[in-house]
Amino acid sequence: MLNINNIHASIEEQQILKGLNLQINPGEVHAIMGPNGSGKSTLASVLAGREEYEVSEGEILFEGKDLLDLDPDERAGEGIFLAFQYPVEIPGVSMTNFMRTSVNSVREYRGQEALSASAFLKLMKEKKKIVDLDTTLTKRSVNEGFSGGEKKRNEIFQMAMLEPKLCILDETDSGLDIDALKIVSNAVNQLRNEHNSFLVITHYQRLLNYIVPDFVHVLFDGRIVKSGGKELALELEEKGYDWIREGATV
Amino acid sequence: MATMATNSIEEAFINAFRPLGLNGTRELIPTREAAEASLQNLKLPGRKTESWKYTSLRPILKREYRPISAAAISSIDAYRIPDLVSDVLVFVNGEYSKELSDISHNQDVLEISALSSLSAENKEAFQQKMGTAIGENSDIFSALNTAYAKEGTLLLVPAGKTSVAPIHLIHLTVPEATATISQSRNLFVVEKNASAQLISSHFTVGEGESLSNTVTEMLVSDNARLEVIQFQLESDQASRIDRIDIQQQRDSYCSVYTFTMSGDIVRNNIRLNLEGQHTESHLIGAYLLSDSQHVDNYTEVHHKEPNCFSNELYKGIIGDQATGVFSGKIHVYEDAQKTNAYQTNRNIVLSNSANIYTKPQLEIYADDVKCSHGATTGRLDEEAMFYLRARGIKEGDARIMLIYAFCMEVAENISIEPIKEYVSQLIQNRY
Repeated sequence: MLNINNIHASIEEQQILKGLNLQINPGEVHAIMGPNGSGKSTLASVLAGREEYEVSEGEILFEGKDLLDLDPDERAGEGIFLAFQYPVEIPGVSMTNFMRTSVNSVREYRGQEALSASAFLKLMKEKKKIVDLDTTLTKRSVNEGFSGGEKKRNEIFQMAMLEPKLCILDETDSGLDIDALKIVSNAVNQLRNEHNSFLVITHYQRLLNYIVPDFVHVLFDGRIVKSGGKELALELEEKGYDWIREGATV
Repeated sequence: MATMATNSIEEAFINAFRPLGLNGTRELIPTREAAEASLQNLKLPGRKTESWKYTSLRPILKREYRPISAAAISSIDAYRIPDLVSDVLVFVNGEYSKELSDISHNQDVLEISALSSLSAENKEAFQQKMGTAIGENSDIFSALNTAYAKEGTLLLVPAGKTSVAPIHLIHLTVPEATATISQSRNLFVVEKNASAQLISSHFTVGEGESLSNTVTEMLVSDNARLEVIQFQLESDQASRIDRIDIQQQRDSYCSVYTFTMSGDIVRNNIRLNLEGQHTESHLIGAYLLSDSQHVDNYTEVHHKEPNCFSNELYKGIIGDQATGVFSGKIHVYEDAQKTNAYQTNRNIVLSNSANIYTKPQLEIYADDVKCSHGATTGRLDEEAMFYLRARGIKEGDARIMLIYAFCMEVAENISIEPIKEYVSQLIQNRY
């Protein structure tokens, strides 16, 4: 599904990713862990198409298509979804209007007809249940005045609405209390199936107790320096990142 | 030599107005002759006139104008506000069209009339009250208007009465092959405990250069309420100099909304005089500009009495080579303790060649007041753009969503639902 080959990316002349390789197949859950500054969020940004990042080398293929050729909205149409680490507040744009435009834009890209008003509202109602999103929140402006936990739940709600093929969770666990973490993880687990894949970016192992990954990769200094099964996350939790750091410099 | 050339341009410009006021309505405006005489001493604003610093009238002044002639319009359907039940007064090239107008809704509660059709009683009321808010002839455009206007609107809401439907003034300009000039003179009087809602729309029908010079006086009496919403939807060849002078007496409420969606050079002067205590006022505006449009909103709020509240909110979207100007002066007089005066001007520029000049000005002579002003100019929020696009929304659609969200704040408190919807459509159709 996703093939990242030797990607080099920089922002404002600063090289962040230095030859990263990753392959994700349908139905797989990959976790990316790593210390601060290792490039985790840069990877998410490059995949979603943030313009500030410059890719100088390497390629990213998504279902055989060159992802770097596509605009962010086209990537969403192809089925890539980024759950933001810091979802932005957009005053004046109502959640409902935003979601309707989003769903129908993606449907248009995929050659499907726009949803009728009633079909859309029905879908909203159904998907809100998955993350236990308060009905009053969808009547407000996008993320405006949402608590940290509500913002993250709103991200997963949008994910459920758009039914993406590849979901990137960028530190979705940061700032969540244990109850919110359970709700979010539970929602993600409900959305998992053999056709879609997840890339879970996290600093801590805690989230991976709830969203159990098939593979864990350790990102350090812009490269994946170690890969393994879910037990690698536990090892990291126990030993911290220092042993990776030492290993990487040897 | 250069001076002489300038003088002759100014003279030709002023002379172009003279024929407008002929046609038998000379006796309607009693202060006409004084205004005409004052033209000798009043000067057209130039580069050094502080209040016109960012708006050059040169492109307007150097044209050769003719007074606009009468024109016929067969239907006003395209110019009405969908789903709005209202009285409608239609003016085509400055002349009142009785056939296209319908003033049946409010006939039992208030007086609404074109100046050319005033009853003897209303004529007397008009002559008595006109000029009250404007005061002496201090600026050349209002003096020209007083000297040579022949048509306009009188709204008179008697004490204790409330309009049963909003009143919609539709001004249509049908331009001609040569540049044309037209004027309009309006007086809105809302007596004690009375209330009215009035909308005015300006459209251009066809191509050609035009200039309108409009003066409106609003007298809002004790405990009265007046809400005015203006739509400036003229062509890129239509220029407009608009002046509104408001007098508010104690416990009154007045709001003026100005939506400028297009135009060549547009200057809106609003002067708000708070003459009684415990008044509430809102001056709200939005301007959405592209190409080389130039819109200048110049406002003055005079807090003369204690315990008054005023609020100004102007928001602009400036694209291409367009220019937006906002000047907001709040003057709190020595006796005006417990004044609350707020002013906000926010702008978004969409291109590198767009211009915005914003100038807040606070003059406060009382010591127990709450006043604030704020001005911001920036680009569309990049982070919000990326968020919307990451959800599959195309760049153009995302931009419209953000522009719409930014602008609709100004329409938040409009109580007439079809007008809110109309504003929403105007913004969305703009891009």
